[in-house]
Amino acid sequence: MSNPVPLTTDHPGQVASATPPAPGRSRRLSDRGLAVAFISPALLLLLAMSVFPLLWALYLSFTDYSATRGGPAHFVWFENYTAILTSAQVHLRALTTLIYVVGAVALQTVLGFAIAYLISRRTHGRGLLTTLFLVPMMLSQVVVGLFWKFMLDAQFGVINSMLGSLGLGQVEWLTRQRTALISLIVVDTWQWTPFIMLIALAGLTAVPKYLYEAASIDRASEWFRFRTITLPLVWPLLLIAVLFRAIEAFRLFDLVYILTSGGPGVSTETLSFHVYKVAFLGFNTGTASAYGILMVLVVIVLTQLYLRYLNKLKED
Amino acid sequence: MAVSVDEAVPTGPVRDHTPPARRFGGRGRSVLEIALLTVLAVVMLFPVLWMIETSIKENRDVYAIPAKFFDFTVTLDHFKDVFIASGGRSALSVSFLNSVVVAGVSTVLATVLGVPAAWAYSRFAVKAKKDQLFFILSTRFMPPVVVVIPIFLMYRQVGLIDTKLGLILIYTAFNVPFTIWMMKGFVDEVPAEYEDAAMLDGYTRLQAFWRFTLPLLVPGIAATAVFALIFSWNEFVFAIFLTSSDDVRTAPPAIAGLIGGTTVDWGLVAAASVVFALPVLAFAYLVRKHLIAGVTLGAVRR
Amino acid sequence: MAAMLVATTMAACGQDDGATSAPKAPATIPELTKDPLTLSFIWFDWPPAHALEAFANAEYTKVRSNVTIKVNTVPNANWHDAMFTQFAAHKTDFDIPILDSQHIGEAVTNGNILDITDFVKKNIDVKAYNPYLLAAYGQYPQAETGKRDENASLYGLPLLGDTWTMIYRKDLIGDKPPQTWDEMISVAQKCQADNPGVSGLAFHQANGSDAAAVTYNTVNAVYGGNLWDSKTRKIDGVINDAAGQEAMDVLVNKMKPLTAAGSGNWFIDEVNAAVAQGKACIAFNWIAASGGLLDPKQSTLGTTREEILDKLGFATLPSQKTNLVPLGGMGMHVSAYSPAANQAEALNFMKWFEQADIQKKWAAAGGVPSRTDALESPEFLNAGPFNQVYADSVSRMRDMWNVPEYARLVDIENTNVNAALNGAKTPKDALNDIAKEQQGVLDSGSRKGGGGL
Repeated sequence: MSNPVPLTTDHPGQVASATPPAPGRSRRLSDRGLAVAFISPALLLLLAMSVFPLLWALYLSFTDYSATRGGPAHFVWFENYTAILTSAQVHLRALTTLIYVVGAVALQTVLGFAIAYLISRRTHGRGLLTTLFLVPMMLSQVVVGLFWKFMLDAQFGVINSMLGSLGLGQVEWLTRQRTALISLIVVDTWQWTPFIMLIALAGLTAVPKYLYEAASIDRASEWFRFRTITLPLVWPLLLIAVLFRAIEAFRLFDLVYILTSGGPGVSTETLSFHVYKVAFLGFNTGTASAYGILMVLVVIVLTQLYLRYLNKLKED
Repeated sequence: MAVSVDEAVPTGPVRDHTPPARRFGGRGRSVLEIALLTVLAVVMLFPVLWMIETSIKENRDVYAIPAKFFDFTVTLDHFKDVFIASGGRSALSVSFLNSVVVAGVSTVLATVLGVPAAWAYSRFAVKAKKDQLFFILSTRFMPPVVVVIPIFLMYRQVGLIDTKLGLILIYTAFNVPFTIWMMKGFVDEVPAEYEDAAMLDGYTRLQAFWRFTLPLLVPGIAATAVFALIFSWNEFVFAIFLTSSDDVRTAPPAIAGLIGGTTVDWGLVAAASVVFALPVLAFAYLVRKHLIAGVTLGAVRR
Repeated sequence: MAAMLVATTMAACGQDDGATSAPKAPATIPELTKDPLTLSFIWFDWPPAHALEAFANAEYTKVRSNVTIKVNTVPNANWHDAMFTQFAAHKTDFDIPILDSQHIGEAVTNGNILDITDFVKKNIDVKAYNPYLLAAYGQYPQAETGKRDENASLYGLPLLGDTWTMIYRKDLIGDKPPQTWDEMISVAQKCQADNPGVSGLAFHQANGSDAAAVTYNTVNAVYGGNLWDSKTRKIDGVINDAAGQEAMDVLVNKMKPLTAAGSGNWFIDEVNAAVAQGKACIAFNWIAASGGLLDPKQSTLGTTREEILDKLGFATLPSQKTNLVPLGGMGMHVSAYSPAANQAEALNFMKWFEQADIQKKWAAAGGVPSRTDALESPEFLNAGPFNQVYADSVSRMRDMWNVPEYARLVDIENTNVNAALNGAKTPKDALNDIAKEQQGVLDSGSRKGGGGL
């Protein structure tokens, strides 16, 4: 991250001057002064609530500090980092998180795009359809998690009940290693497919008509048109949607906490969930801070690489 | 990252790429597509319908095997239980009020801080503007579980643990980046020439912003505020780790607390979820035209 | 905002009190305030918490009319975190934390709760209690199972006693409960075979709280195993000895196959639901959490309490090599960070609560008392069908470790037992992993960096 604040000298109290001065009042804020007055309160808040805590976490990550045991923090330098990077427990969570992120994001991209494509081909009721499809992503993760837990219950859940009436056997959705992770992916997909759909739809409805008309004069096949006209135009949008979803999925916590609490065993424990355990079960604040810093680093580095790729794509 | 898309989603113009006769079995395919769309819509909406249904079922019917889809006795008891407990107001209804306060105040704060900053970023040459903006955005990408540790340590020094103010501050901090990014887009759409013209007429820059630009931004501000509100309303991680007492706790941890006692009253969970989701759905409907910008922090605009 | 930044920066660099031993409560209760005062508790959300609030507000206010009792409740999964994050903040919104017996070590070592040894000597009739009950909810370092070390310090007093009860379907397996663990398994097997749709057993298997861990600990105890050697702090080689292996084998290979499909994440409420819906022949649950089973509104077993009781029996756990049962329940403790007036009130409340007649009233109000006279009183024994079970179990109890590392030890055990129960690990691997990882936690004191992984 680059140095964000060239303008912190100003006093935040100046926001008050955002009310209009009486006409004819002589004192005029220069543009620069105005920019500082308007930007610095927001940046100060971010400094206090985001940067400062992060720097503090960075400091703690080099110590063996514990939030409950008290006592001074001892510097252990990079020991926390090496311990985390070499821990088999962490590798296991990283793999789980990777499977989850790739699985969930891939599934919702395909589904979301498919739904968007189908909606874009309809002439009537598009607004209504879109609105209905969007409901899941507006719900709180808590509500989503609790309710799917109820629906996926092996004995009393409606999903198994429906499978039963179709003559299919019961599935232990949340208590088998594979199915539990799949359940997480399915629930996340249910909630966030609308997100991809929404963005893909924006791309699809924006494809200029004349391109299709030109293509139909050429008697191009439908698939050819899709591949050469639709997809290239929607692709950049879709990639941004995927970025957002991947970042969100990478830090998944709520759903795990409520749906499986990491089980069976630790097979659905994500990195975020593991950080929580390190931070709040043993109150190993130093280790948890290092763990968290590493996660933030991964997000930032991967995002930067991805954006660079995206920009290159745009230039081509 | 600004990608412009010409048309609004729900109100997009009817596109009609090829004359139907051209298509392979045009009608058959259309029927197939409608069928597929219907199936997908049913699958996506079923959980929501099931939640509503569960909220009006008696507990016996909730556990019925096989599940009862239609033939159950309708009761509104669960909705009553959401608001009224034996001793008066239920803890759940208190948590709803807390959510209103926390989400409301943090949204107002984020708007007051974010809108002027967005305007300044849009209008003025600020040093290292791109870096600043990326930095602002990146604070939003930190995993909450990670942020909660130093925030917790900080709050305990200043006595903000288990207070509404603590939640309001952290939600504001999470919403300010979003507000800036989203509002910058809206400000960019208002031509700077309006302000220049006003300044030629003798207004100061500030007056020009206040009298001419701001009124044009009101719809955008409303949309942005709604998204900030939805975030604060649904947030769970900070709420569960930074608060613990009944009179501070917001609704998401309170609803999560409904399970894990000795019996699970799924009817109550469903009713509470429905009541909790309604305001968000209503607000989301109001800002449906700005949804895309809203869910992508303004990165993708309509 | 800037001021806050400065304040926290200075705090971050400067202060950190090194005090790590528990502060002492006075031997005699200081003078109490006459001003209105709210005495706050923290517990997890379950019926006893609501019963306590109602009971205390009705009864305690008779002697202290200016006091209001408030029992704050948090989700069970969040209980430990909610208490200890507030302890970590050195500011609590509760005066009396209701700690699980196993949390005592962590709270004492961090100096979060008051040492009430002198207070107890002066104000509490210790002879009125089974010594182990008194020790289990208050003593640190931990007492040997069944005993109390009179020289050790006390940090809490019993609030609610609890243990597992066996809940069995009289209409399916007969009036007489099985007496041994083997018999219990074979009865459950037969019952499951005879009654399609009903599973033989239901018990806690979840990986949260202490669910799966208590289940394994119970079987481990019944089959003569031990969790650790507290003197040498040895876990590896103790928990996974022959008895421990046999217990894990019984649990995973004999008991688990008799449970419902998908029961691998069950805890208190799911077991109750299975019993209430008539889906289990024999179930195990905490007594304090069983009251709802008799509520006709939530049950399909009958339309009145009597009808339900015709079908449900409650018994002490079967024995095998030993007759040990898990110790449940919680004690009352005093937060080191609440104001002096509230601490005084808390001590006064505890003294009041532990009187013989109040304990009997608590029993009648649905609580489980700890004083022997209250346990033997008709008020208690007639208050619920499972209360006799508790009274009979008192001399048979065993607890887990109450060391400061408890939260991590129980997490290791929970996740591994849960993994074994759900086929994610073999029973043998799971047990050996528990032994190895728990030993690692106990031994990690000298380790630099990476603690808690």
